[in-house]
Amino acid sequence: MASESVIEINGLSKSYGSGKKQTLALNALDLTVNRGEIFGYLGPNGAGKTTTIRLLLDLIRPSAGSARIFGLDIRADSVEIHRRIGFLPGELTLWENRTGSQIIHYVASVRGDAKGIAKHADELAERLDLDTSKRVRDLSSGNKRKLGLVAAMMHAPELLILDEPTGGLDPLVQQTFHAMMDEYRDKGKTVFLSSHVLSEVQAICDRVGILRGGELKAVESVEKITNVEFHWVDVTFRDAIPIGLQQQLEGLPSISDVSTNGRRIRLRMLGDFDPLLRVISSGYVEMVHVEEPSLEEIFLAYYSGDKEN
Amino acid sequence: MIGSVFLETLRTTWKQMLYWGVGLSAMGLLVVIMVPLFNMQDMANLLQSFPPVILAMIGVGQELEIFATNEGFVAIGFFGKSALIFAVYPVVMGMRITANEEDSGTMDVLLSLPIERARVIVEKFLAYGLSCVGVVILIYLGLHLGVILGGVDLDVARLLEVTFYLIPVMVFIMAATMLIAVLARRRAVALGIITAFVIVSYMLQTIGLAAEGTVAEPIGAVSFLTYYNAGDILAQGFIWPHIAGFVILSGLLLLASLYRYEGRDIGV
Repeated sequence: MASESVIEINGLSKSYGSGKKQTLALNALDLTVNRGEIFGYLGPNGAGKTTTIRLLLDLIRPSAGSARIFGLDIRADSVEIHRRIGFLPGELTLWENRTGSQIIHYVASVRGDAKGIAKHADELAERLDLDTSKRVRDLSSGNKRKLGLVAAMMHAPELLILDEPTGGLDPLVQQTFHAMMDEYRDKGKTVFLSSHVLSEVQAICDRVGILRGGELKAVESVEKITNVEFHWVDVTFRDAIPIGLQQQLEGLPSISDVSTNGRRIRLRMLGDFDPLLRVISSGYVEMVHVEEPSLEEIFLAYYSGDKEN
Repeated sequence: MIGSVFLETLRTTWKQMLYWGVGLSAMGLLVVIMVPLFNMQDMANLLQSFPPVILAMIGVGQELEIFATNEGFVAIGFFGKSALIFAVYPVVMGMRITANEEDSGTMDVLLSLPIERARVIVEKFLAYGLSCVGVVILIYLGLHLGVILGGVDLDVARLLEVTFYLIPVMVFIMAATMLIAVLARRRAVALGIITAFVIVSYMLQTIGLAAEGTVAEPIGAVSFLTYYNAGDILAQGFIWPHIAGFVILSGLLLLASLYRYEGRDIGV
């Protein structure tokens, strides 16, 4: 079940402009998203996340490559694909003079099952604590986002494509959203979610793709990407830190960012523990605390690595 | 569902249609009510004293006798000088077909639904076209009310023809606006181009009318406004080749818009 692919992207590229003004927004992207998984698509602004999503939705046309959703071509079969997906744009704009329920009915009528969909929409709105009787122009950005989520999810699509879904949502609604995503996964449905809120991706996603400068840098499971080789290590000595220890540590190629605070020394360690243990054994070690790097740090590590290159 | 965009477009447009229609019909009513205040022979003499370029600017050629009638007075007072005003509504509606929604971002939401781009354009085009018909009907009702209230002796059938002749012209302007918006992509650019197009057309029509009987007369043929001349319609009734021309051109502009919109990126 999990190996059945819902999104298959092969060498997808998109460039804007021509000649010297040509900008490559997405470069030969290869990616597969499987049924029943929540896939996090990470990257800073301008990395190409929204470009990927707009290509998948056939809003913009690829310069090269192809993509299939549910085995259907994103260009030739876009209407059939759209019937089976729900989409929330990153910069959501809705028809300002219409009320929430009018927009829900409009979207439902285009989808072709106004009554059935609208009923589910009411349930979603209630769950997200959204008042659909207000005009869009009178809604806060968070409530507009809720309305966008209702419109994207009300037909219970097989695939949800969400661009920065929780921007503007308060923490309580974010929790509800996370629960809804878990339910989606449990039902065997798929979510493709772009975000720069790494903790959110860490909390709900199964796999993560990291994008930078239009290129996919890594695709890993959240567990695996968290299990990178560097760790933060805090060593607390019973007595004062042995003289010259800091210099010794700084001399090790696998150690960096060494700082001291009283009897405690903190450092960033790459690779095996053995070289560190040999050096710190010159003192009486009271406690060693090892921290896994956060996804934010992993994310930054990818970029700093790139900058160095 | 087929027709959902059409119906939604009508729902969001009927108020503007009503405001425009009532406003323009009030103008027409005022002009009709004023008819008895003027002696049409004096009017004809006055027109004869004007230089051709001034007459051309109000849409009058050298055949002045038609304007020495009540219908002619309405043609000059309302339909002639209002040519540019009538162009505003279809421009506004033409911009709404794609440009406004692309600029605001709502087109992304709409086109992420199971609907073809062509269907969006066609349904919006038909809905806004229908709203142009609504505006024209309201204009006619205003004129007719003026006839009743003012007890004016006017050929109502001719008045109906002049008024309803506006429909193909307005639809043509709307179609031209739509194509320019599809090509230019940006709302502000499209608005600038279509405004220039209408103003240049008006100037070319003026030159053509002012230069009747000279070598410069054919210049006017380039302007679409030349084919909506209230005086000609009063004299001849519906000029079917001109109407057919507007309909065919509108159809071609619609096809060109569909072709271009299908092949290009949205909102870029």
